[in-house]
Amino acid sequence: MRNMKWAVVVGLVVLGLGAGAVQGQQQLSGEYKIGVLEPLTGNLAVQGRLHLEGYEIMRDLINSKFGGVMGKKLVFATGDAVDPTVAASEATRLATREGVKIITGTFSSTLCGAASEAASRQNVIYWETSCVDPRLTRRNLKNVFRTEIDGTGFGWYNIEFIAKHLAHRLGKKPNELKIAYLSEDSSYGQSVTESARQRAKEEFGMQEVGLEYYTFTTNDLTAVILKLKNANPDILHHIARDQDAILFWRQAREQNFQVKAVVHAGATGYGNPGFGKALGNDSNGPFALLEPGPGVIIDKFRPEGQKIERAFREAVKAKTGSDVLAGGHQLAGGGLWVLKLVLDAAKTDELDKFRAAVMSLDLPVGSAVNGWGVKFDETGQNSNARVQHYMLQWQNGQLVTVWPEEFTTNRGKWIPLGPWDQRK
Amino acid sequence: MHAIPQLIVSTLLLGAIYALIAVGLTLIFGVMRVVNFAHGEFLMLGMYLAFGAWALLNFDPYVTFVLSLPIYLAVGWASYRVVMRPIVHASHNVQVFTTVGLSIALQNVALVLWTADARFLRTDYYAVVVRIFGAAFNVAQIVAFGASVALTAALFAFMRWSYTGKVMRATAQDRQASALMGIDTDRVYAITWAVGIACVGAAGVLLAPIYPVYPTAGLQFVLIAYVAVVLGGLGNMAGAVIAALVIAAVEVFGSYVIGTSWKEVLYLLLFITVLVVRPAGLFGQRGAEMVGM
Repeated sequence: MRNMKWAVVVGLVVLGLGAGAVQGQQQLSGEYKIGVLEPLTGNLAVQGRLHLEGYEIMRDLINSKFGGVMGKKLVFATGDAVDPTVAASEATRLATREGVKIITGTFSSTLCGAASEAASRQNVIYWETSCVDPRLTRRNLKNVFRTEIDGTGFGWYNIEFIAKHLAHRLGKKPNELKIAYLSEDSSYGQSVTESARQRAKEEFGMQEVGLEYYTFTTNDLTAVILKLKNANPDILHHIARDQDAILFWRQAREQNFQVKAVVHAGATGYGNPGFGKALGNDSNGPFALLEPGPGVIIDKFRPEGQKIERAFREAVKAKTGSDVLAGGHQLAGGGLWVLKLVLDAAKTDELDKFRAAVMSLDLPVGSAVNGWGVKFDETGQNSNARVQHYMLQWQNGQLVTVWPEEFTTNRGKWIPLGPWDQRK
Repeated sequence: MHAIPQLIVSTLLLGAIYALIAVGLTLIFGVMRVVNFAHGEFLMLGMYLAFGAWALLNFDPYVTFVLSLPIYLAVGWASYRVVMRPIVHASHNVQVFTTVGLSIALQNVALVLWTADARFLRTDYYAVVVRIFGAAFNVAQIVAFGASVALTAALFAFMRWSYTGKVMRATAQDRQASALMGIDTDRVYAITWAVGIACVGAAGVLLAPIYPVYPTAGLQFVLIAYVAVVLGGLGNMAGAVIAALVIAAVEVFGSYVIGTSWKEVLYLLLFITVLVVRPAGLFGQRGAEMVGM
C-alpha cells in the first residue's frame, strides 16, 4: 500500500513535469526551418551580427511564448553573406542543400539584390527585413517581400521631420530653409538622399545649397567640410554608412563647422550605437530616423502591439543586459514577427498561398513590434504609412526618441545646434 | 583661397600615414619580391594592440607606440619563420595565395577574438584641436605625422648607412650574387619582413587614436598603400613616400575642387596614366616591371 502511494506521487510529479514542458513549448510539433542570410564577416559584419542576434531573440520568443510558426518550432539555417557574390551563392546553398523555402536577411542594400535574385531562381520566398534599396521590390519578383520601408520612405520621413518640426523650431518656413545633402554613395545612401531632395524641392521649396557623395571607407572628409562651411546650410541631411559618421563629426568639430541641425536615417552611421561610444557627450545633437528608442510611450500602441513589444524588449534585455534596443535587433525581430503572422495565416510556405496571406494581412499602426502596422502592396513592399518610424536624437551619449511628439516623453534639444562646446 | 592652408595640412597629415604604411610594403617587395597582401591585417593588429593596452592596462597609445616596435619586430620575425620562409623561393602564385590566406586568417582571428564591433580609443586629449594660420588639426594627427616622418627617415638612414641596410640592398639587387658573397639571404629576408611588419604595426598604433578599430580597418588604408607602392616604383622607398603624398594631395584637393565622389577616380586615373607613360612607376628602374622588380 505504501509502495502504491509512492507510485501515485511519482506518477503525478512526472505528469506535472510533462504538462509543464508541453505548456512551455506551446505544444509544438516538429520543426520548421528557414534560411537566415546576413554578413557575419567583413565590412558589414557589425550590423549583420546585430541582425542575426535580433532574429535569434525573436525566434526563441516565438517558440517559447507565441506557439512557434504554424504550430512548429522555428529553427534557422544560417549563411554568411560577406559580399553580393557570396550572398547569391549562400542563398542558393540554403535553398538547395538546406532545403529551406524561405530566406530572410540580408539587411544591406549592397547584398539584398543579389540574394533575392538567387532565391527567386530557386523559387524560394525572400523575406527582407532591413535593406532599403527601392529596386528590391521593383523587379516584379513575386517571391520578394519587404517589411521595412524603402529608401524613398526614409527620405520622405526625414523631410517630413525637417519641414513640420525643425522649421518651426528654427523659426523659419520650410521654403526659407537652406539644406545641404551629404551621403555615402551606395544604393542605400543614394536612394534616401535622392528621394529627400525631390520631396524637399517639389513639395516644400527648400533651398538646396550643396550635394556631395563619398565612399564610406574614406579616410578624410576635411575637404567636404570646408565646402559645406562655404555653402552655410541651415540643415545638413547626412546619410552615413558606419565609421564615416564618426570621422565626419570629429573633423566637423575640428573645423568648427556650424550647422543648425544634422538629420540622418537608418541604423548605420549616426543610428549606430558605436557613434555614441566613440564620441561620448560630443555626440550630442544629430538626429537619426529609426525604430522606437528610449522614451517611446508603448501604451500608445494597440494592445496586441504592446504585448509583443514588451515581450521582445524583455527578451533583448535578458540576452544583452541592456534596456536599449539596437536598430538591427528591432528590424530583424520586427520583420520575423510579421513573417510568423503570415505563416500562421497561410499555414503553408507554398508561394501562391503564402503570397495571398501576405496581401490579405491588414494591421493598423501600433499592431506589431516597433509600433508597426502591416499592409503590403502588389510589389511586396510594406506601406510607408504603416511602418511607423521615429526620429531619435543623440542626447548625453544616448539615442532617445524625440519625434513624433505624441509617441514620446522626450523633446528635441539643441535646435539650433549652437557652438560645439555648449551642447551639454 | 582661405581653404588652401587647411588643404595643404590635410594632405601632409594623410600622406605621412599612407607613406609609413607604404614604405614597409615596398621594402618587403624590394628585397624579397613578395607582395604582402596581409599588410592591412598587420596594420589592424597594431590598432588592436594600442586599443588593448589602453583599455586593459591604461597605457597611453604613444607609450604603446614605443613598445610596439620591438613587439612587432618579434611578430614579424616569427611570422617569417612560420609562414613566409617556406614559400619565399616559391612561385609568385604560391606567394600570393599564402599572403592572401594569411590576410583572411588574421581578419577572422580578429573577428573571433574581438567580434566585429568597432572599438574606440578615446584619450583625455582626443578632442584637443590646434589652430595655426587658418588650419586646424588634432593632437593625434600631429603625433602620427611626426612619428611617421621620424620612422620613415630612420628607415631611410638604416637602409643607406647601416651595414645591415647595405646587405639588404645588396640582396635586393641580386640574391644569388649576394649569397655567393657570403650573405645569409635567409637572415636578410627575416630582417626585411620583420622591419616591414614593424613599420605597418607602428602605423596601426598611431592610427588607433584617430580611427575606429575593427577587424577590416586595415583595408581602407592598405589599398591606397598598394597604389602608392606601384606608382612610386616597386621597391623604391623614396618613390613610395612621394607617391603617398601625391595620392593624398589628389584625394584632398580633388575632393575640394571637383567632388568627393571623384577622388578615387582621380588618383586611379593618375595611376593608370603614370603606368602607361612609365610602366616602372615614377621612380622605378626602367625595365624593372619586366623582371618583377
